[in-house]
Amino acid sequence: MDLELSREDIEFRDGLREVFLREIPEEIRRRNSLSRVTRDDIVTTQRILNSHGLAVPHWPVEWGGKDWTPTQSHIYASELQRSSVPQPLAFNVSMVGPIIAEFGTEEQKRTFLPATANLDIWWSQGFSEPEAGSDLASLRTTARREGDSYVLSGQKTWTTLGQYGDWMFVLARTDPDAPRKQQGLSFLLLDMTTPGIERRPITLVDGSAEVNEFFFDNVRVPVENLVGEQNKGWSYAKFLLGNERNGIAQVGTSQRVFADLAEASRGIPTETGTLADDPQFRASMHRSRTTLLALEATQLRVTGASASGKASPVSSLLKMEGTKALQELSKLRKEAASQDGMLLDTETEVASDEASAVAAAQYLNQRKLSIFGGSNEIQRGVIAKTILGL
Amino acid sequence: MNLEFNEDQAMLFETVDSAVGRGYAAGGRAEATGSELGWNDGVWRTLAEMGIAGLTVAGEHGGADAGPVEVYATLEALGKHAAAEPLLDGVFLPSWLIATVGTEQQAKQLLPALAEGTQPAAVAHAEPGRPWNATPSVTATRGGDGSVTLTGVKAPVRHADQASILLVTAADGEGVTGVYVVEAGAHGITRADGRSADWSHASQVTFTDTPATPLGTAGADVTAALRTAFARARVAVLAEAVGLMEAALAHTVEYLKNRKQFGVPLSTFQALVHRASDLYAHVELARSMALWATATVEAADGGADVDLAAIADDAFVFVGDTATTVAEEAVQLHGGIGMTYEAEVAHQAARLTAITESFGGVAAARRRAAASESALQAPSALLNNADAVTA
Repeated sequence: MDLELSREDIEFRDGLREVFLREIPEEIRRRNSLSRVTRDDIVTTQRILNSHGLAVPHWPVEWGGKDWTPTQSHIYASELQRSSVPQPLAFNVSMVGPIIAEFGTEEQKRTFLPATANLDIWWSQGFSEPEAGSDLASLRTTARREGDSYVLSGQKTWTTLGQYGDWMFVLARTDPDAPRKQQGLSFLLLDMTTPGIERRPITLVDGSAEVNEFFFDNVRVPVENLVGEQNKGWSYAKFLLGNERNGIAQVGTSQRVFADLAEASRGIPTETGTLADDPQFRASMHRSRTTLLALEATQLRVTGASASGKASPVSSLLKMEGTKALQELSKLRKEAASQDGMLLDTETEVASDEASAVAAAQYLNQRKLSIFGGSNEIQRGVIAKTILGL
Repeated sequence: MNLEFNEDQAMLFETVDSAVGRGYAAGGRAEATGSELGWNDGVWRTLAEMGIAGLTVAGEHGGADAGPVEVYATLEALGKHAAAEPLLDGVFLPSWLIATVGTEQQAKQLLPALAEGTQPAAVAHAEPGRPWNATPSVTATRGGDGSVTLTGVKAPVRHADQASILLVTAADGEGVTGVYVVEAGAHGITRADGRSADWSHASQVTFTDTPATPLGTAGADVTAALRTAFARARVAVLAEAVGLMEAALAHTVEYLKNRKQFGVPLSTFQALVHRASDLYAHVELARSMALWATATVEAADGGADVDLAAIADDAFVFVGDTATTVAEEAVQLHGGIGMTYEAEVAHQAARLTAITESFGGVAAARRRAAASESALQAPSALLNNADAVTA
């Protein structure tokens, strides 16, 4: 066994830090740590990363990928998170990009991949529907073939950052009579300027407006915007699941949140000293610390064992336990801030420090972590079925 | 960087796994701990012949001079079968104490017998009603002729009924802690033999002017060496816990598949299935933690600058908490049958429970860890990647 990065890995890591810490503006990284990044922050960051060849490292090499070792991919995800760099837009780099690269036509690849890597196109995800959440395959949005077009009708929801979306990748039903609900779905690329699309923003419990609903009323999608084969969309969507293992546990993010909270606790007074001296707080932090060690060690085991990059059922474990760890830290941060997190949306700046002021809102927002991307209940089901055979 | 066994270590695991598995069919632990010996003699002899008893002993004293990963592989295999052979308490831990505290002469005299597996030792450190890290209340008195006698009570002492020598911690007239070698049949020893909560043999041992020999130089303070040896033991026992937890989970999963109530298998109830999934996640994280701690001990042996006691406390608390959860849930998911002496899962749960109270226990380790500097240090599993970056 070996718990050290090799000299080459250290050089690799330091090269990444050079870009992450020097090229990405500090203001952007600070706003990211407060969950306050703007659209422009995300675009600026991804274009800087892309100019250094660091936006889409896990794509095929001919489209900008890096062919890194599993260890290098792990270091990349970890360092991005640790330095609080806004992650390249997942819809672009982890979802539609790899699908087009794998299943798209040459024309689609040329048209979309470079622009997707550089965030010249902002993609939205059109999967979930009001009646199709965890049970995604029961979705009802239809795409009826009419001449050279599909005609899209229905509703999508939970579209994260859809207000900025130039294009949307949509899973829609092209064969309502297929024997199984997973059959008869197709993967379509939709230009959001097409007539017949209506957006309604959804305000979340913390006040953020990051998700949306979309309504499609006979929206025409040219047939050349079908990815792969008609009625095979489910298999392309499944290709995504478990595709992204590095960083799924967000250990780097949790490490940063931990470090920030430990630092802040030394300046937060209690009745008897500072929060950093409080035995209960220290016990909670120790629990969190050891959980993060165990998670990182698990990530190292998976990284070491998988050169294949195939979906691993351990992804479910990492997603479930990683998000729980991050949620627990956000709870500790909220408790540390206490009433300082209870004054929001003031017109002028207030006296509480910024991180404390947003702590309660962040805590509420982070409840999403165990719900999106396959809720923890879904992950338990995956573990039971694929690992335990239950 | 990697947290995997190499080929030899993987083979060691398989070899011990199959040797122990042959001797421990269903009911194996109950039978072994219920015997006069307290473990399975055939398995013990096989392990000794394979050189497993001498795993941690230096080559010059007849051992294999193996490191913490080999100890891990061996003890995880032992745990998988809930085996009771006293490798850790009777051989590994005594060998660490003798090698680090004893004189060269004592090493030569004591280690070969340990390595052969013919004479397991017992470590007598715990005392009734006293914290693990307290100065021992057993006293070592030096006579006019330079001879030493011990007086006081030690309990529990695991496998004291079968040990040929006892390694006893005691405080001398100056209050300095030392380790003393006591022959099992020495004058002034009385034993109250019983069992631990996990059914392994344990005793209270009372010393009354019992002749003893200081391990190492008389009067030298061995507190630091003791803490290091116990830190190694805390990490080592986690491997056994991982083996036990995995086995308990496997038994539980089988039970959910096979047991029928209301006319259907228990595995049709999602509330139960999801609890099994949670157990799987807990066990995998605990395994990662135990492997990480083992790799850290290996790095320390290679000269890395790490605080072994702190690492051991971190890992012991995390895996110990998981052990409690797995023991409780495995019994609960088995229902009444899981409470019985006949059930495998009951023995696994009992052994896991005993592990959580071994070497001072989880609660004390948690108190130390929470009070230590490291509680607020940003975690990094990689030793040369610790400099946390913040926005």
